[in-house]
Amino acid sequence: MRFTRLQAGLFSTLLVPFASAQANEMNPDISVVLDGYYKQNATALSHRDEGFGLGHTELSLSAPIDDLFAGRLTAVLEEHHGETEVALEEAYLQTTGMPWNLSIRGGRFLSQVGYLNSRHMHEDNFVERPAAYRALLGSHYFDDGLRVNLLMPTPFFWQIGAEAFNGNRLTEGDEDIGVYTVNTRFGGDIGVSQSWQAGLSYLNNRQVQGDHDGDHDHDHDHGDHDHSHAAAYTGENLYIADLVWKWSPDGNTRQQQLTLSGEYLYADELNEHARSSDYHQGWYTSAVYRFTPQWSVGARYGRVDLKEAHGDHFHDQQLKETDVMLAWSRSHFSTLRLQYTHQSAHGFDDADNTVTLQYVMTFGAHGAHDF
Amino acid sequence: MISKPNRLAWVFGWLLAFASVPASASLNVFACEPEWASLVSALLPDATITTATTAWQDPHYIEARPSLIAAMRKADLAVCTGASLEAGWLPSLISRAANRKIQPGSDGLFFAADHAPLHQSHEHVDRSMGDVHPEGDPHLHLSPDAIPLVADALAERLAALVPDQQAQIQVRYIRWRGEWNQQRQSWRHAARQLAGTGVVTQHSTFDYLLRWLGIEVIADLEPKPGLPPGSAHLRNVLATPDLARASVIMVASYQDDRPARWLSSQSGVPAIVLPGTVTGQPGEENLAQVISLIVNTLLNHQEPTNVE
Repeated sequence: MRFTRLQAGLFSTLLVPFASAQANEMNPDISVVLDGYYKQNATALSHRDEGFGLGHTELSLSAPIDDLFAGRLTAVLEEHHGETEVALEEAYLQTTGMPWNLSIRGGRFLSQVGYLNSRHMHEDNFVERPAAYRALLGSHYFDDGLRVNLLMPTPFFWQIGAEAFNGNRLTEGDEDIGVYTVNTRFGGDIGVSQSWQAGLSYLNNRQVQGDHDGDHDHDHDHGDHDHSHAAAYTGENLYIADLVWKWSPDGNTRQQQLTLSGEYLYADELNEHARSSDYHQGWYTSAVYRFTPQWSVGARYGRVDLKEAHGDHFHDQQLKETDVMLAWSRSHFSTLRLQYTHQSAHGFDDADNTVTLQYVMTFGAHGAHDF
Repeated sequence: MISKPNRLAWVFGWLLAFASVPASASLNVFACEPEWASLVSALLPDATITTATTAWQDPHYIEARPSLIAAMRKADLAVCTGASLEAGWLPSLISRAANRKIQPGSDGLFFAADHAPLHQSHEHVDRSMGDVHPEGDPHLHLSPDAIPLVADALAERLAALVPDQQAQIQVRYIRWRGEWNQQRQSWRHAARQLAGTGVVTQHSTFDYLLRWLGIEVIADLEPKPGLPPGSAHLRNVLATPDLARASVIMVASYQDDRPARWLSSQSGVPAIVLPGTVTGQPGEENLAQVISLIVNTLLNHQEPTNVE
């Protein structure tokens, strides 16, 4: 197995320095995320099997490398059908000394398309990503590539960025650069209590068109997908619009916070047989209210309309999903979550309703409170 | 009373202050907390300052939101507390803003906690102890002894970044120091009355000042640092026999005051909400005023006499 040596190395790194887990002059920041759950029923387009299971168990190391570079390594262990898979989710270097607020990232990292994709899964407010993300981005799209981001010299926040990726983690293909993305984000505050961010993203998948080795199309006909994290549904063009709004009395996020967010995803040019009426489309909207420092409630509704490829034609599929959740965090570093998911579907045999109980625990370095 | 070298510095400072001051380009400063914004503006009044938090916001729990990234983008200097107080959001802001002037280890990033000795630094820390910072308690902004050390280092840093205002910054620092020392005399006078008394607190926000005044913290409403007060812990606090010695329950402006109000209604000890830091309101515009306000409030709950 390709990662065995790396795995051994990572775990010896994990075990040795825990007496001094806090980053000091030479040791990197080390953080571990434990994610486990009990899920009552299997559901459609899900990355979590029914019963007891482990989710996204994560080990992350990060540190400044010198005065010009910083680096991060994140290994993820996931359990699927009784097999534990180790994957490198992030292994990148990031510049810290570029002029004009330019930053360059190279290596393996999470693409910054959309609002959720660049976030780590353990920061999410629900057990799984929205159905549209699971179908079109494999929950979270990460790949080997290069990113350039620029902050515009405006009084408000305006960032533009472009990424180029290998692309094989979205769709297998022969192109050297399989995926390009461009992305822009704006944001600001409204008074002291409210803040917002809006983003537009475009992802160009150059490996969708053309013949692939083997009949790729029928790989997805059986629900038993190999969990390569490749997206099950792709198109040459993927457009994402996202909007997030947060409110806290006096801006004191410690006591209370209301977060409303929504995204719309649209993919077309699905393959060489696709007509203009063949496209994937999905959206979700979510509201999460943390009403005390330790308790939060949330609801999310989303749907995705998909075209499943069958040789030279497509079958319609649709999945509507409603989630409600209640979460309790003893401290900043522990969360227990109870979630009910209701699915109604067309073209998915495994759609079902389920109750999931999940824990997400972090230890080691303090995680980032990103917006 | 001002000691002799201070009096000399005081007079010298005033003389220099009245010398002509040439105008110069201002510095863009990002202050993580309002106390550092007020200190920067005392030393460099023409600096353009963005303050990331207010006295009504818990500085541990800020998010690296877009407006803060935009402010960090254009800053020449970031002045923060350090000692992991901003561990949840400052590293993310610095990374997202990609401002090469403000990077760990660079002159553009000033941490107050690097320039003063911290209380309660730990050899061994784990999170079962709560959100304890191994470097020590970061809430040093109300310490009468630590702030002059921070101001001294900050004046030096500002002078290095704005060399053509070096002399004026030095003058303003000497003047500030003189005023601070004078205030400290009055707090020391108050400490003679307050020493040996006890209070109940919520988190360590006021601990440096209380220790300086010789006031004992009888109980903390937080069961562990960073955990919100729960009913089981509050009942334990209520059962503490020492509670009878507490003159007040002190809550900072950014904290939920309901646990303190409950304890107050059960025990009869008055609960008071005090500014956690500089608020910008009259009488709370700089750290010396905030400390005086807290000291006077404590005195008022002690004896009918007041300190001037």
